[in-house]
Amino acid sequence: MTRRDLLRSGAAAILSPVAAATGPQNLSYPLREIQGSLTPPELFFVRDHFPEPELSLETWQLRIEGRVSHPRQMSFSDLLELPTKKIEAVLECSGNGTHGSAASNAKWEGVPISFLFEPVGLSRDATFVALEGADTGRLGQNSSSLPYTQIVPLEKCLDSASLIAFKMNDLFLPRRNGFPARALFPGWYAMDSVKWLRRMVVLGPADRHSSFVDSGMDRLYNRATAGANGMETRRLSAIQVKSAIAWPPDKMRLAAGSYEVWGFAWTGNGSVREVAVSLDGGHAWQLANPQPSPGPYGWVRWKYQWTASPGDYSLMSQATDSQGNRQPLERDAARKDGYELNWCAPLSCSVR
Amino acid sequence: MSSIGVRRSVVACASWLALIFCASLYGQDCAQKALTPEETQHRLSELAKSAQTEMAQHRFQEAAHDLREAACLDPRDAKIFYGLGSMEAASGNFLAARKALATADRLQPGSPLSLAMLVRVNASMGDVDSLKAALSQLAARFAANGELHAALAQFLLQNKFSDLALAESLRSQKAGSTSPQSMLDLAVVENMVGAYDDAIRNAVAIESQAGLPAAIRASAAGIAGLSYESSGQREPAIAHLQTAIQLDPLHENSYLALSFLLEKAQRYAEATAILEQGRARLPQSTALLLPLGSNLVLAEKYAEGISVLQELLQKSPNEYDAYLKLADAFRKTGAGDKEIKILGDLEGRKPDYPQIHLLLARALLNFEPADYARTLDELAHAEQASTPDAEIFYLRGKVYLATNRTDDAMAALRRAIELGPMDPSPYYQLGRLYEKLGQPHKAKDTFARMQYMKSSANR
Repeated sequence: MTRRDLLRSGAAAILSPVAAATGPQNLSYPLREIQGSLTPPELFFVRDHFPEPELSLETWQLRIEGRVSHPRQMSFSDLLELPTKKIEAVLECSGNGTHGSAASNAKWEGVPISFLFEPVGLSRDATFVALEGADTGRLGQNSSSLPYTQIVPLEKCLDSASLIAFKMNDLFLPRRNGFPARALFPGWYAMDSVKWLRRMVVLGPADRHSSFVDSGMDRLYNRATAGANGMETRRLSAIQVKSAIAWPPDKMRLAAGSYEVWGFAWTGNGSVREVAVSLDGGHAWQLANPQPSPGPYGWVRWKYQWTASPGDYSLMSQATDSQGNRQPLERDAARKDGYELNWCAPLSCSVR
Repeated sequence: MSSIGVRRSVVACASWLALIFCASLYGQDCAQKALTPEETQHRLSELAKSAQTEMAQHRFQEAAHDLREAACLDPRDAKIFYGLGSMEAASGNFLAARKALATADRLQPGSPLSLAMLVRVNASMGDVDSLKAALSQLAARFAANGELHAALAQFLLQNKFSDLALAESLRSQKAGSTSPQSMLDLAVVENMVGAYDDAIRNAVAIESQAGLPAAIRASAAGIAGLSYESSGQREPAIAHLQTAIQLDPLHENSYLALSFLLEKAQRYAEATAILEQGRARLPQSTALLLPLGSNLVLAEKYAEGISVLQELLQKSPNEYDAYLKLADAFRKTGAGDKEIKILGDLEGRKPDYPQIHLLLARALLNFEPADYARTLDELAHAEQASTPDAEIFYLRGKVYLATNRTDDAMAALRRAIELGPMDPSPYYQLGRLYEKLGQPHKAKDTFARMQYMKSSANR
């Protein structure tokens, strides 16, 4: 084995050491560092609620129980030896800022949840699935220490694209991204794609899942809109159409010349149909040139050739999806929550 | 299969179980004459002998032919079907092999042999779904057979099914396998997939067993070292790799891995010492020479580094990276002529080496007196060999500026700025060009733009 072979094999991983974290992590990286359209593991955003759990491949298990006739317990070996599916999909934190980089795109591999549910015998009144991670903690001072839990409609779980994923960009999941296995709900905000998954409980329409309610998780991730009848709340689900300018960054100073303005656009409703760019704060728009879409769940990389002459500019991008949804130019004033921040926010750039 | 054979087989099928055999017999193309029980035994014995001889002589197709006939004579003998499946597989008849092995498994469900062979067949076919299905069946029926899962893991690892090798290694461990080799295999795969804590725990358990062969303990220490490094713990990583070297001083990879970590930590002198130690113990190794030469240069021991790299190129002239390391050493010692010579050698040996023309052009331009004609020639080659690169035009602009071809310099530098608008260097050359052209305002403006770019880059 040569030195190069050595580096290519097991030792290659030492190029990107990942130290164990002691507390919840909140990491994101500039989108401009992404080459191509897949986010490499070391640039993939991380939003934890609780500290990363220490999990072992040898002892990890996934339990499927609740309203099923045959509860199932699976080892990591069982998961590896089931048929898998690969899907390119964006994960976006529902609180990702307008230019925020808490969105990443990867090629995922895992076992369709529908396949795992086949032998368990779902009961007729099965409606939701509670997904529980191995990370535990308190969301508020008065709440008890409970595992991170989300509840997802059974219909979404049975979607052929919904996976128990164990690989990201052809590599096993990094610890901070849910090693050894996580849920993946393409097209939906990332909080439902529970990391470090260890239990799935099938629920009926009126079942109360204590981890979800008692922890206070049921009060997070809701769309809150002030209406005529007071505040209306609805659980977040599909990712709203959005785009971000990766380059130039905000407050960039450039010399006059020709530049490629570029970024990414994504949606949870169909696929991205077009991206437009404005240099004057949204008065005039020109179409950008998007790369071919990788499918309904991945983001598209787009570019716009800009011949910049001296002046001050306000750059914006705006995506439209195949269902006709277009990024709004400003935040809906009725919204009282801090989620789905997808309006076209400008960035400034001065050219001399 | 003749119609008489089919009819006879169908007539013989009296039960549901027999129907399964009938289907199988149909597939096996049974068309032999009816024999008495004695004749059948005699023929089976003959077929077994000849199949054994053919197998020993690697005449697998003929062996398969004999076993096919034997299977017709005794469709309840799992061993015959197992042998037939193996011979069909050895002959490359994978579909027939699968069928025979499935029959063998059905006849003798208490034995894992047929399914294990089916794993091999499916792996050879690259049929991952069937491979997984066979492994899942083995897991369901032979969960407690640690040795079986360990053997499967090794086979899968050798055949590059590393995910499945991991699955089987984990099964082996769960079944209570205590074989150090299987635990080491598991640690290797766990390190590969990023399960560093697990890899460290298993590897250290092997490393610390004094009664085990030193080579196994050394490999385990090496894996522990790599996993520690991957989990961001460099000092224990170095300590374990040092242990690996102590346990098995003839294992080249331990020197390579340890020196690599030391080089990453910019501890070049220590890296050099480790590699020298390896070289003393493995004088025939050429793999140690590139990192040794490279670290000597990094440790600013240029003469020794150059000597080692030259030795490497004498032994392995296709070790292309060594040319670059050598060129770097020559440049750092002010031997520009030798730098140009060694890059020229690389160009001659590997004209498509990435960026070779650009590297050569850069070296030519830095040498006094610069060979402008050859520099331009190399830049022309560089332009042909790659997509437009700002540096090609930047260097060309410098050459034209130095040779007073001001129009060409202007065009080249503007193109460089167009291709790399964030790089301040072409602005400096452009400013100098304006000065040369007697346009001080434009020169001042260009220098100011360069400063603006630099300040922007530093923000």
